[in-house]
Order: sequence, then C-alpha cells, then structure tokens
Amino acid sequence: MTCDHVRERLTAYLDGDLDADGGTVVRGHLRTCEACRRVASAEAALRDGLRALPTVDPPSTLWAGVQARLAAVEVAEASRPAWRRTLARWAPVMPRFAAGGALAAAAVTVLWWRSAREPAAEPVIGPVTGPAIANPSPVIRSDNRQLAAAQDPAPPSPAPAVESTGCQPGTTGDVTAELAADPARLATCYAQAVDELLALAGELRGHWSDSQRAAFDARVQELRESIAIAEDGKPRQRAWRAMVRYLQRAIVRDEVSLASGGVR
Amino acid sequence: MRAVGAAIAAIPAFVVLGALAPVAAADSMGVIERSRLEIKPAGRAFTRLSIENPLGNVRVEGYEGTALQIETRKHAPDQDALDRLRVSLVPNPDGTVRITTTADGGREVAPVARGAVRIDLIVRAPRDARVEASVSSGTLEVFNMDAGGELDTASGRIEVRNVAGELSTHSVSGPTSLSQVFGSVDAQTISSDVDLDSVAGEKLVASANDGKIAGRRVRSREVELTTVNGRIVLEGELSLRGRMIVSSLTGDVDVRLRRSGAVVIRARGAKVDLGAPMSRAQPGGWVEAHFGELTGVQPALIEMRSRRGNVTFAIVQ
Repeated sequence: MTCDHVRERLTAYLDGDLDADGGTVVRGHLRTCEACRRVASAEAALRDGLRALPTVDPPSTLWAGVQARLAAVEVAEASRPAWRRTLARWAPVMPRFAAGGALAAAAVTVLWWRSAREPAAEPVIGPVTGPAIANPSPVIRSDNRQLAAAQDPAPPSPAPAVESTGCQPGTTGDVTAELAADPARLATCYAQAVDELLALAGELRGHWSDSQRAAFDARVQELRESIAIAEDGKPRQRAWRAMVRYLQRAIVRDEVSLASGGVR
Repeated sequence: MRAVGAAIAAIPAFVVLGALAPVAAADSMGVIERSRLEIKPAGRAFTRLSIENPLGNVRVEGYEGTALQIETRKHAPDQDALDRLRVSLVPNPDGTVRITTTADGGREVAPVARGAVRIDLIVRAPRDARVEASVSSGTLEVFNMDAGGELDTASGRIEVRNVAGELSTHSVSGPTSLSQVFGSVDAQTISSDVDLDSVAGEKLVASANDGKIAGRRVRSREVELTTVNGRIVLEGELSLRGRMIVSSLTGDVDVRLRRSGAVVIRARGAKVDLGAPMSRAQPGGWVEAHFGELTGVQPALIEMRSRRGNVTFAIVQ
C-alpha cells in the first residue's frame, strides 16, 4: 500500500471505522513510514483538540434572529412581481416541460393524422353501460372554479345511520344530535383507555410495595373525584387526560406517588 | 358567514377590513359556499385565537400582520342544510378572538347527517397570537406561530410546523406530527403515533397508550417519552446536565444521541445494549454505563426502560 492510499484511509482508521484487515494494513504501514506517522499524529491531535472544545449552547436570541431573517426573505419575496415569482418557481423544471411539450405535440400530431385517415365511428344510441360515476366532483361556479375544484377535498357523502358504539362516532343522521353527543363520546373514549390501564395496573401491582399500592389507590381515587367534579367539555377532558398520564407513569415506570401532568 | 358579520358589527373595537360576498354553487352532490373575512383590531392586538370546529378541518397560518383573515368553506347537500351551518366569530376586547362552528337543529327542519355537511376554516393570524383549537375528525394544522398553543382532536390528525412557545397537543386516535417546535411541548395521544422532528426547548413530554413515538433532531433539555404498547425511537442531542426518561411497557426503546458532555445511562429491558464497554449490572435488573469524564460537571442523565421490549442506546458522533 502506498502512502497516498494510507493517507486516504487515515481518518477512517483514527475513527475506528476500518475493518480488521484494513486497520492492520494501515497500522503496519505507519510502523515503517515516518512521514505518514507524522500526518497521522497531526490528524489525531486535531481531532482530540476539536473534541475538547467546550460545547456552546446557542443563545436564546438565535431563533429570533433566524425568524427575522426568514421574515425578511418572505417580505422580499412578497415584493417581487407575481410573474417573477412564478417564473422562478418553474425555472428549474422548464427544460423537462419543454421536452414533455415536444413529445405531447408529436403525439397529438400522430393522433390527428391517424384520426383523419380513419372513418368516424357511428354514434351509439341506447343505454350506455360501464362504471357509474359514484362521486362526481362538485362544480364551483366562480372565476376560480378550476383552482377551487383542484384544492377541494372530496365532498362528504352521506353515510347510513349507525348507532354510536361507545368511543366510535355513530351516524344517527342528525348532525345537531351528534355534535351534542361529542363530549360524552370523548369521555367514553377516555374511560375505555383508563379501564385498560387500570387492568394493566392490576396485573403489575404485585411488584409494588404496600405503601406504593396504597399511594396508587389514593391517587386514582383523587383523580376520579377530579373527573367527577370537572365541568363538562374541556375541563373534564383535562381531568381524564391527567388520569391517563398518571396511570401510564405508574404502569410503565412504577411512579405511583408522583402527581400526574405534563408541561402544564 | 352571515353570523360572522352580525358578531363583528356588534363589537366596535374591531374593524372589518374586507368581507367577500359568499360564493355559492350547487350541483348534484350538494352546495358549496366560500367566504372570506378580514378584521383588524382597533385597539389591542389579537393575542389569543380560540377555534372550535367539530365539522371539518382547521388550518392556522401565522404571518407578519395584525389583521385576522378567515376563509370559510361550507359544504352541504342542499341550500337549506347549508343555511344551518354557522360560523360565529366573537372578538373580545382583551385580544381574544373566538371562532366556533355549529349546525343549527330544531324540530321544524329536516335532519341532516354529519357526514353530509362540512365546514373547513383557514385562518391567517398574527404570528404572536396563541392558538387554542379543537376539531373532531378533521385535520388540525398550525404553521408559523410564535406564542404556542393548545390543540385537541378526537380522531383527526394534528400537524404543527415552525411554532415557538409552549405547546400542548391532545388526541384520542389521530396521529400527531410536530416539527420545528421551539419551546416546551406536551403531546398526548391514546391510540395513535407521535412524530417529532426538530424539537428544542426546556421540556418535551410525549405519551401514547397504543402508538409509536418517533423523534428526530430532538434537543430539549428535559425529555420524557412514554408508551404502553408502542416502540420509541429517538435521535437527538442531549443538553449539558439534561435529563431524559424514555420508557415503554411492551415496546422497544431505541435512543441515539449526540453527546456534548458527560452522560450517565441507566437502562432496564428484556435485552439491553448500551453500546458502552464499561456497562455495569445493578440490582433490580438495571444496567448502568457512562460516557465521558464524570469529574467536575454534573452529568446528563438518561433512563431507558421497557418491561417487555429491548432497550438500545448509541452515541452518534
């Protein structure tokens, strides 16, 4: 192996990334080549020096600065004429469009030429069979209808009436009634999750000490009372979520005596 | 949008900058109405945006302006049903703006199925307004905001991108995706995945009962990820004196970190691989290892555990 070959592999060798054979060859060369040994020593010293540098925590103003610069770019972009922004967006793909356009033009020419040579088909009179259009797109009668149709999600299609089964939403056919039932349905979802977690806790509590079990039962009772007295809607959902998180921590990490809650 | 106009007119503290007449169209699949409204605070800036839309999607986009631009798209099977879809806008003098949607009912009108009607909202808001929004099965998206927020869905997807400030998200069965979030984060789901990308802040708490948590480029000082049945994959950077607890009941735990100082790792699992030559077995099935010199500075602490899954750790240089 020549010095050039060894020096190409020095960084990988120092990082321990070479396989056993590669490492042996480089090591063998370094034992006999003073010049390569000096290069290896210098590179190792540089690497160690870099690693010894203190870590710099970015100042809290860094992100504000980044945002300010991004905002400046956006402002500059907004001040450019629309045609220049459009041109800039399409410029990278223009060559491909040009090629595609040429191909399309050629295809249209061939088709036109062939259709001009073939006799026109007789019109079919009678029922047309074929796949039915089950869900045609709505037509927006406005100036920007094409754009609107392209951006619109598929229109909702009426679903057959289905009774709500606990956590799953039902389709009773009356949107007002279903909206009114949403909080109760969410509460059912949380209650089901809590039941599952309590069942798991029941399996795992054998590993806990007596005091842990007592703390767990007391905390669960406390959280149940919080749920019961919470106002309908978001406050009650928060209470359910506090219960879920407490149970998760108890089950997964045996943290039975800690208060639940996340950041807030 | 008639309800919006009425609400705005009643509160002189806000100025309606522009309201496009609703554009409606009908075809065999129903009626669609689009409208747009722009309001500007006459006095105090908009500081908080509260949106409840159980009938469709919500997207909030921050921008460098003071006005609130609201775009509404309603869909219903016929004009009567469309007229029952309401969007109400209530601006308060304290800087809070509340937007709610509903469908009017009553015995005198024919019932309409929930799946047949829809209201989607796109709101462009001043970046420094806090967002509190909830949807049911629709998608909830928040982009480019600077004052955090609280986002709730039942089964809809939550997507957050480029948001600063304290953020909490809750979902029952909709996936949560947070990227470029700068601030403390609390993400909780019951039966869906949590995806985190480029999250930095004081604290990151995420949990799922039946769902995977995946984190990339995570740089929060305190990290707490918990699943009951779901894998946790975390790639990030540990801050000096940071603290990280990554735990699952049945899922595998896989953590890969860039290190910026001494780290002490404690792990327990069905099978533990800490990638450290000096791992030591401890009582209770724990394995401990450390990277870097422990003298002088308080080390960062990592605790990883899975009762029934494997635990893997690696330092990424």
